[in-house]
Amino acid sequence: MTHTRHGVRGGDPPAAHRPPLPSGPTPLRDRPPRDRPPRGRRRVSGRITTFALFALPGLLAYLLFVLVPIGMTAYYSMTNRNPFNPPTKWVGLRNYAELLGDAEFLKALANTVVVTVIVMVLANVGGLLIAQLLDRPTRLYVALRGVFFTPVVLSSVVVSVIWQVVLTDDGLLNSALRGLGVEDPPGWLSDPGIALYTIAWVITWQMLGFCVVVYLAGLQGVPRELQEAAAIDGCGPLARFRNVTWPMLAPALTINTVMLLITGFKAYDQIQVITNGGPGTGTTTTMAFQVVQTSFNGNRVGYGSAMAAVMLVLVACVSVLVLRVLQRREVTR
Amino acid sequence: MNDTRVPWLRPVVALFVGAVFFMPLYLVLVNVFKHGADIVPDPAGLPSPPTMDNIAAVLSRADNLFVYGLVNSVAVTAISITILTVLSAMLGHYIARSRHLLAKVVMVTLLCGLLIPSPVILAPITMVLRALGLMSTAPGLILVNLGYYVPFGVLLFMGFVKSVPLELEEAARLDGASTFRTFWQVVFPLLRPASASVLIFLGVWIWNDFLTPLIVLGPDSGTTVTVGVYRAIGEHQSDFGSVFAFMFLATLPILVFYLALQSSFVKGLTGGAIKG
Repeated sequence: MTHTRHGVRGGDPPAAHRPPLPSGPTPLRDRPPRDRPPRGRRRVSGRITTFALFALPGLLAYLLFVLVPIGMTAYYSMTNRNPFNPPTKWVGLRNYAELLGDAEFLKALANTVVVTVIVMVLANVGGLLIAQLLDRPTRLYVALRGVFFTPVVLSSVVVSVIWQVVLTDDGLLNSALRGLGVEDPPGWLSDPGIALYTIAWVITWQMLGFCVVVYLAGLQGVPRELQEAAAIDGCGPLARFRNVTWPMLAPALTINTVMLLITGFKAYDQIQVITNGGPGTGTTTTMAFQVVQTSFNGNRVGYGSAMAAVMLVLVACVSVLVLRVLQRREVTR
Repeated sequence: MNDTRVPWLRPVVALFVGAVFFMPLYLVLVNVFKHGADIVPDPAGLPSPPTMDNIAAVLSRADNLFVYGLVNSVAVTAISITILTVLSAMLGHYIARSRHLLAKVVMVTLLCGLLIPSPVILAPITMVLRALGLMSTAPGLILVNLGYYVPFGVLLFMGFVKSVPLELEEAARLDGASTFRTFWQVVFPLLRPASASVLIFLGVWIWNDFLTPLIVLGPDSGTTVTVGVYRAIGEHQSDFGSVFAFMFLATLPILVFYLALQSSFVKGLTGGAIKG
């Protein structure tokens, strides 16, 4: 180990402190200390081998199934490609122009924003409250953490089916409400004014446990001494939360918000399983749903690609922006 | 909430909130073991006596939707996460250790991949798969998983590789081990927490994935169990018992897999999360 260090770092101790060398020839020591040329060449070829061996396999898969498809999306977004209606022709930016006046797409965009904002706010607030509630080390609270985390491990298809059974007009919730004497319980999934919020609720319910776990981990990182010092200085529980706990939870807030943002933006499964875009026309469509509908059910791959490109740019810009803002908060705390 | 003044308040509130939250899952669990006719009149009651009829019905479906789906899901998930762990460990190691500009470029390109929602690239992915002759096949789905999830694996491994002392690798190399051997015999065993996180995260995600297998495997050549759940509700919407049993059976394997490795999962989640 020590040999390694001296060899690599070049930190040989001064000759005066060196223990006497063992007698006898030590051929290695007589060699000139540097023989750069062969070593250098070996290093370059070694670097290429390392790249080919370590990086290339993973990168090839990424290239083939992510980067190339993105390029194709960008290219097809400027064509009228439709596999059942050849030939494919170049149409320039006409698809994008059409998007600007496409009421269905704009509705889907607005729905996506509504769902994402609701999920982001509800899951963050709920997750933080429940994390505060469960921030005790006894067995009861550890078990309850497991309860809240369970939906995170479930498929969103399963979660959607469960809530569909609970929330349909004659579903379990409304039967229970009628049993309690509510004459006309709301049509959670059949009322066009409510269905979108129901979808947002289903996504929130599934993501809540994720936020709880991340906030709990953040709370573990808040030193007790800080809380106690603030209490001695006369801070009440609310002031302590605002001035001590909350700033220290900044990294947890960043992770949760970005995670929820991405989840909300790409919401698809819940819509496909629960409402299929309805009730009515497009009351619960999202951008992801609209992209898949247009490309696969409508076969308008060119137009769907333009939608996908817009969606991708929006997701990327908003995520990076939110990340920047939240991370600046972390640094300046 | 002040624990010292009202000591019973926190457990009571926690239990109540937990019970309300858990209600939908409870409904599934009890109704899996009830006869269809008993579900609607009394959805929340315990099954008395419990029946295995629903589960037996799902297992012995004439179209084998569940059994074939299970085989597909297990194969696709197991093969995908095994290869993903190997590929992303090596790629993460390369990026963390190389000071070459190329490594930086590769890293930024991969990190961008984390932001890409799968619906955006799904249509071209089917074209790539058709060109390779792999559309509607399990190997095709596995390849798509590899490309789509490799950025996440790399992100996790990159952070962990940096915590492995460089001296260990230098020592191994001076002892004559090749870069390849150094990685597999010295570094990779030290990355076990990261490997566990990658296996569990991606295992859960790939098992639960809906849209990609729905499109890539297509309607004819079998599905995964998750897509099977969707197919099952289309057929017998009103037969809650068999729908619940299907979901129960489709979730059980991944839940067991998750619980078996849970402690390292949460550790990996928070370790990567908080330390950035």
